[in-house]
Amino acid sequence: MHPDPARTPAWSPSRNAIGLWTVEGVLGTLVLVAAVVAVEVLAPLPTWLAVLLPVLVVAEAVVAVGVRPRLRFRVHRWEVTDDAVYTLTGWLSRTWTLVPVSRIQTVDVTRGVVQQLFGLASVAVLTASSQGTVRIPHLDAAVAARVADDLARRAELVRDEAT
Amino acid sequence: MRTSWRIVLVHTVTFKQARQWVPAVLAIGAFRGLSDGPWAVVVIAAAVTAVSLVGAVLGWWRFSYAPGDTAVVVTRGLLSRSVRTVPLDRVRGVEVEAPVLHRLLGLVRVRIDAAAGAVQGDEEELVVDGLPPAEADRLRTHLLARRAAGVPAEAFAADPPEEEFARLDDRWLLYAPLVGSYLAVPLAAVGALFRLVDELPRSWRPDLDRPDLSATAVVGVALLAVAVLLVVGSIVGSALVNWRFRLVRRGGSLVAVRGLLTRRHTELEIDRIRGCTVSEGLGMRLVRAARATALVTGLGDAARRGQLLPLGPRAEAWAVTGRLVEDPGPLRPHPPAARRRRLVRAVAPGAVVAVAGAVLTAAAGLWWVLALGVALAVLGVPLGLGRYAALGHVAGERTFAVRSGWLVREQAVLQRRAVVGWQVHQSFFQRRQGLATVVAAVGAGAGGYRALDVAAQDAVPFAVAASGRWAGTLAP
Repeated sequence: MHPDPARTPAWSPSRNAIGLWTVEGVLGTLVLVAAVVAVEVLAPLPTWLAVLLPVLVVAEAVVAVGVRPRLRFRVHRWEVTDDAVYTLTGWLSRTWTLVPVSRIQTVDVTRGVVQQLFGLASVAVLTASSQGTVRIPHLDAAVAARVADDLARRAELVRDEAT
Repeated sequence: MRTSWRIVLVHTVTFKQARQWVPAVLAIGAFRGLSDGPWAVVVIAAAVTAVSLVGAVLGWWRFSYAPGDTAVVVTRGLLSRSVRTVPLDRVRGVEVEAPVLHRLLGLVRVRIDAAAGAVQGDEEELVVDGLPPAEADRLRTHLLARRAAGVPAEAFAADPPEEEFARLDDRWLLYAPLVGSYLAVPLAAVGALFRLVDELPRSWRPDLDRPDLSATAVVGVALLAVAVLLVVGSIVGSALVNWRFRLVRRGGSLVAVRGLLTRRHTELEIDRIRGCTVSEGLGMRLVRAARATALVTGLGDAARRGQLLPLGPRAEAWAVTGRLVEDPGPLRPHPPAARRRRLVRAVAPGAVVAVAGAVLTAAAGLWWVLALGVALAVLGVPLGLGRYAALGHVAGERTFAVRSGWLVREQAVLQRRAVVGWQVHQSFFQRRQGLATVVAAVGAGAGGYRALDVAAQDAVPFAVAASGRWAGTLAP
């Protein structure tokens, strides 16, 4: 296989993110189970389909709860260097995103409901271009706040007339 | 300050304020039937005009604008007052239009383009409708002159020398049928005409014999008529918009003037230009024609406002572009793996249909699906090769360029300082073939311009060469 086009950022999201993704996986599976049960009870299905659907649901549950959270943890990376913010996301299809501190316009820290349960927060770095947005999901809340403060302060210092 | 009272006349005639009532009235009229005779029509028309007049007067009375030293304040609204304050340094461009009715009454309309916020390049447009041309000129100078802080606006009264960048030759309007967006104009007009005829009451409809569609001659003539209509319609549409297009540089601004019925005067600051794109549609490539657009920060994708050359020979388009951004050099081709990938992607849909067709032929004898699939797959070969031929990228000293696209081939030349971020995408298949896609995030135009399917090891060196050492963070 060929070497990577860009290097992998050094840091991982918070360990609690695995818990959060697992919870999200469980919730998703429950919704799917409810839907399949409704379909099976209400609509007459050929036997092969009636057996196949639950099997698929079980497979999806295994992936969503057992595999995906840990995989995502391994695969999401982020790093803040002297001049830039840098992330890598994706497993089959990977995306490296890089934004220099001098071009940062806004730094957002958001905490969803489930994130608050796990003490996590997401950081979004916005620039003049919608394609130049860097998202660092699921950091520890304290780390997220520190990163946001640091970036905002440095961006202010290096404010460039880029736009 | 108030706009001129004459604008009330324009708005009454165009039903600007009463526009939302017109369909309702038409519906009521159609429902009740116009069997009461012509008087009913006259009464309804008079009532709607009266409503329009009242609405126009109120709208004019409640509209005022105040060009201050640091911001423009526009107040409008009848029941709910809205006060919009736009700081002068957010003003990106000013456009002055003179539609036909306005010109008859000696008025113009001013459109002010401002970036509403720092994020996402949201656009905000302020419209001051109905000013005398002299007043509009003063407003425009005031809005764009604040660059030189402390210098009074009077210093700009004398016109700095003009330098002409481009002028539309009338013959270039003949390229119009090759541009997709101009073809849409006659189609829309015909559609509107049919809708209008449908809404007329039955007794008013012209009585036409149904043409005999089974005769091929009739169909042939009809198709020919449609083709001629499209061609003529698109040329007329393009002429209306681009008549006597002229692009000049005046001091620090780029001024474009154009239009037949509505004369539009658009002014952009050269400082805010971050790059240019030259796009060539499929038909245009055959005749070596192209369109050039400037990428201006804060104007988002307002393609019309940033147009440098709406239609013209390719050489002209590149000449205009060359005066605003430096040429980074000849494009470098992408690796052979990219050609394979483009071919596979172009042939795959046809192949899928062919396989389905083979199954269906065996099962139900629907051989035409198989034939269709094979035809699509064969057509995919020149498509894939064409897509590959369009790919290219290069990084120069102060600018860089990327190109892609088959139906519309677009080459974007961007300044180094325009880049606000980089993205490198690599799909699963790209990884196996050692390719990647590099996207330059730019605070202008489409927001992102990509070099599709470059060699994976070239991705980061290109980013570094194109924008600066900070991109070296990506280096493996």
